Amino acid sequence: MSSNIYKNKKPVIFFLIPAFAFLAVFLYYPFFQNILNSFRVINNLGSSAKGWNDPWFTNYVELFKDANIRTALVNTLKMIAATIVGQLGIAIMLALMVDNIKKGQKFFRTVYFFPIVIAATALGLLFNIVFLYDKGMLNQLREMFGAVKLVDFKDDAHAMLTMMIPVTWQYVGFYFIILITGLNNISDDLYEAATIDGASKWQRVRYISLPLLHNVICTCGVLAVTGALKVFDLPWIMFPKGMPSNGTWLTGTYMYYHAFESHNVDYSSAISVLIVILGVITAKIVNAVFKEKDY
Amino acid sequence: MAGINNKRNRRHNKISLGTAGIYAVLTAWALTTIYPLFWILMNSFKDKKVIRSDSFSLPFGELFTLDNYRTAFDRVNILGAYRNSLVISLSVAAAVILLSGLASYALVRYDFKMKGLLNSMVVAGMMFPAFATIIPVIRMMNIIGLANTNQIPKSLLAVILPQIAGNLSFAIVVLRGYIAGLPVELEEAAYMEGCNIFQLFFKVVMPLCKPSFATIGIFSFLWSYNDLFTQSFFLKTKPEYSVTVLLSLLTSQEGTNYGLMASSVSLIVFPLLIVYLFLQKYIVKGLTAGAVKG
Amino acid sequence: MKKMLAMLLTGAMVFSLAACGNSSPGNAPAQSSSSSGESAAAESEPAGSPVTLNVTTTYAGEDTNAGNYQDAIAAWQEETGNKINDASASSAETFKARVISDFEMGSEPDVLFYFNGVDSNPFVEAGKVVSIEEIREVYPDYASNMKDGMMGASPADGKNYSVPVNGYWEGLFVNKAVCEAAGVDIPTADTTWDEFMEICQKVKDAGYTPIAASFAEIPHYWFEFCIYNYLTPATHNVLPGSVDDDHGKAWVNGISDMKVLYEKGFLPENTLSATDGETFQLFIDGKAAFLIDGSWKVGGIESSTDDIDNFTVTYVPGKNDRKSTDIIGGLSSGWYITRKAWDDPEKQKACVEFISYMTSDDMVSKFASVSATALKNGVQVDESQLTSLAVAGLDMVEGATGMAGAVQDQVTQEARVPVFNGMPDIVTGKADIATAVTDLLALVAAGQ
Repeated sequence: MSSNIYKNKKPVIFFLIPAFAFLAVFLYYPFFQNILNSFRVINNLGSSAKGWNDPWFTNYVELFKDANIRTALVNTLKMIAATIVGQLGIAIMLALMVDNIKKGQKFFRTVYFFPIVIAATALGLLFNIVFLYDKGMLNQLREMFGAVKLVDFKDDAHAMLTMMIPVTWQYVGFYFIILITGLNNISDDLYEAATIDGASKWQRVRYISLPLLHNVICTCGVLAVTGALKVFDLPWIMFPKGMPSNGTWLTGTYMYYHAFESHNVDYSSAISVLIVILGVITAKIVNAVFKEKDY
Repeated sequence: MAGINNKRNRRHNKISLGTAGIYAVLTAWALTTIYPLFWILMNSFKDKKVIRSDSFSLPFGELFTLDNYRTAFDRVNILGAYRNSLVISLSVAAAVILLSGLASYALVRYDFKMKGLLNSMVVAGMMFPAFATIIPVIRMMNIIGLANTNQIPKSLLAVILPQIAGNLSFAIVVLRGYIAGLPVELEEAAYMEGCNIFQLFFKVVMPLCKPSFATIGIFSFLWSYNDLFTQSFFLKTKPEYSVTVLLSLLTSQEGTNYGLMASSVSLIVFPLLIVYLFLQKYIVKGLTAGAVKG
Repeated sequence: MKKMLAMLLTGAMVFSLAACGNSSPGNAPAQSSSSSGESAAAESEPAGSPVTLNVTTTYAGEDTNAGNYQDAIAAWQEETGNKINDASASSAETFKARVISDFEMGSEPDVLFYFNGVDSNPFVEAGKVVSIEEIREVYPDYASNMKDGMMGASPADGKNYSVPVNGYWEGLFVNKAVCEAAGVDIPTADTTWDEFMEICQKVKDAGYTPIAASFAEIPHYWFEFCIYNYLTPATHNVLPGSVDDDHGKAWVNGISDMKVLYEKGFLPENTLSATDGETFQLFIDGKAAFLIDGSWKVGGIESSTDDIDNFTVTYVPGKNDRKSTDIIGGLSSGWYITRKAWDDPEKQKACVEFISYMTSDDMVSKFASVSATALKNGVQVDESQLTSLAVAGLDMVEGATGMAGAVQDQVTQEARVPVFNGMPDIVTGKADIATAVTDLLALVAAGQ
């Protein structure tokens, strides 16, 4: 950045144009339409607007009044906390561990990836059977250990936890891969030198791996918070329509619900605008938190 | 990688308690990730009637059946669908690697006025839900004559183009993190030797980033492969079907045929895993090639 | 960097202009193809030249008729030498979005098999499909084997646009083993609602769940029959004018009965947190006795159990003016010809011939099997090919004294929210029934 090579800024446009042209045509322009749609009356995805909302910002007023949005935001906040502590935390630990072993690196890198390639419908079925009230895997296990009363893992008290565990678990492998690639980018000479200076394993992690991984961890943080804001597939299959009693809405599932279930596409568009704004803000916060600290 | 690790670990030859603990933790986590896939494979060989009530036992004896696979292969050209899927996903992955590489490099190395805005727009681009952008995209595809043509190459292209855009933001975010970690001194050295800026990118940065490119390539490939939503709007007739579309059409209605669902997921995932294992090898190769950095 | 922004904006504008340009002359390709069609027709006699039809249907996936449909179009192509580009898909929400957006963009198929309820409103209102009336002006015998009154008139303007094939009914599915174990008789045509409540109590006392239903996810079926109990076949399929009139009161009373079911503990313990798939499994596994569902569930039950004879279907017990034998059913989908294909002289005849082929008495009998049809001559079904459950369904329809369409089809998804999604709050007493009905009616009014 400070380097002289990059003082001449003319080439920058050639680097940026191809990617941003794609983004402009296939993402930004369509999303601009989506913003307009949030001011219109649209019932079905794909059907033309029946006109403008009256007043045009109705949907945004509704966002403030809608109790489900509040639930969704609170739950999504919990989900963000869970993804940062759970997903990212576990992924960092696993990545550092795998980076420090001799045999089986390739094996772990492959198998940790499995949950990401399985369709959410299948994972949803599996977890529904695990958490099933009557004869579910967990309740059967509890019975074996002498529990008498069945636990309804999907009732008001347990629902959020039952939802967060699979979602968190599913994407650990994703961050793991990104982190381990980052770790592999770190030169081995550095570890070599540190070892010669008498650094312990832990010191090498603390003073070499983590600082040099700092950019990648920051990336993962951005991906984790934005991911939590938009996640919908697995939660939707396990807890459709915010079940039970509208307690499990996430911003992602609530948006999906209005686009495909309640046929209120314009409101759904407004929610998507809210999600994008929150995504940009939270990404900025994450960037600020991780910003170029000197270790 | 193995060689490098050997070097690093030569100093503690005896397997310490710590190492055993590490393996225990890693294996425990691996069990949680392997089991679901095993569970799906196992149930794909069971009669659909017993899956919900008896999903945790092995498909031996009376439980074993190939019916779920028979239905999947009946009447459909699954090989053609794999070919279509591969064409789509490989094109998407290749384009994403190149375009995001160029863009991330500029976003990391250059300082310019709009950089902050562009960075935010990239993050925003990650947040756009597919349903919110699909309708204008379909309209555009109709205008440029890629949709509803009943011609396979055009229909595939109609999926590829929006999917490239859909994966770019994510790829740029990830690559930015990696490129920012590269020491700028290498580029300076090459610059001194007379490389121009494009040679710098293709001869220095690209090779150094091989593992990173492999990683985002894999993710783009996967998401493109699994992205049923975009595909189902453009791949409408049988010869155009991708594997995901084809199998979703077999299983979607009512959602009660868990046997078909298990076999479909197996048919989607296992060929993919083979591809993944292949790319895994490539990552390692890319790594050793890039290990001269420092 | 201003240049950069300018370029982005220009790019976006070019596309938005292009998009605007397309929306008005959206049928330009149709016009050009029709004019080329005319010239082609002039050169060679229209009778002989093979035509390619673009056909979209919901006969795909696990639809019981997916196989029948594939056989039928293969046979038709063979017979006529015409070609069919089949773009069928299962009727998920994305499929509906695809169909609607195709109509919007002028890329609709020539022939469409699709729902005839509120789902069809967008393209009916836009005049993109041709009414039966108009087709008969040219082809007087079109759909003459169907009862006009049962073809499923469009909710948009009351006219017939589509030729129906197979309909649906809703009934009370019974797990016989559970009834036997609980020592209760299986409800019959003569069982009243009050007797049914006693039966449920006995089933519950015997340690079983009387009714398999997820009131959190799919309260729809019980809603239909509970309000039907305060109405008649003639009045059921009409929306109340207000919550205070007799019809509105019928709705409130019906929903109160659902609350009673919940309070008496006739539903699964976790009915407010379980999915429909989970409660259905209770029924299959012999833990619950009764299930209200549609004719499409016959196939679902057949494929979920080894002992199909353990299951039967019967009338949902009634009360007040509704006889138990007054059922809910109708014909919810049909074959449409799009305006685009109709105006194409090359395709017009082929479309009519194709639909006539697909809706002949034989073909409809084959597709309909146990479900209702609009055939004047009725269906010819070989009962020996059917399971006992399917035969029970057929008998139920034959013995019906009245039939009404499901009233929920008159209510858009958006308007259903206060009652259907609010059901957990309603049955637990957190929400007021009359308020929920009022909200629903207000949303219906707002949507019109």
